Amino acid sequence: MDSEGVKKAIIQATLQETNTANARALIEGITGSCFEKCVPKPGTSLSSSEKTCMSYCVEKYIASWNEVNGTYIRRLRQGAEGNN
Amino acid sequence: MSSSLALDQADIEKLNDKDKAELRQFFANEEQKSKIQSQSHALTSLCWKKCMTSSTFKSGALDGSEKACLANCVERFMDVNMATVRQLAGMGGRH
Repeated sequence: MDSEGVKKAIIQATLQETNTANARALIEGITGSCFEKCVPKPGTSLSSSEKTCMSYCVEKYIASWNEVNGTYIRRLRQGAEGNN
Repeated sequence: MSSSLALDQADIEKLNDKDKAELRQFFANEEQKSKIQSQSHALTSLCWKKCMTSSTFKSGALDGSEKACLANCVERFMDVNMATVRQLAGMGGRH
């Protein structure tokens, strides 16, 4: 492997690690928040209404993450401009 | 976690100065990206608790008021963050 190949391997492995870490954090957030929301009193199995709630909740949580991330980044940019 | 990276010290030593500099820049960008993403995870969890107040979900989409609540939540969190820093900086000499 030459320098270019080593560099590319490092970049690819790094991106894979950060994507996995990001996905894991998102799953952790979804599971915690949606379990709390949709399964207030755990029974002997998940009911169909709990399952429906979970499926809506997963979509909503991802949409929320996108909304929060977008607002946060916009705000960081404004702050950066204000400092210039 | 399994990683696809199988490099040893000899491979690392092959990196020329130009690629080393590029990697340094890449890591700096990735670090910044990771920090923002991890703050977004924390904020989503925090703001979700404040904004998702209905007892059941009737759809997977965010409605207008939920969207507005999430945006306000992030903005006000940042206001509080900045106000706290400012107040603590002002206390500097007195404690």
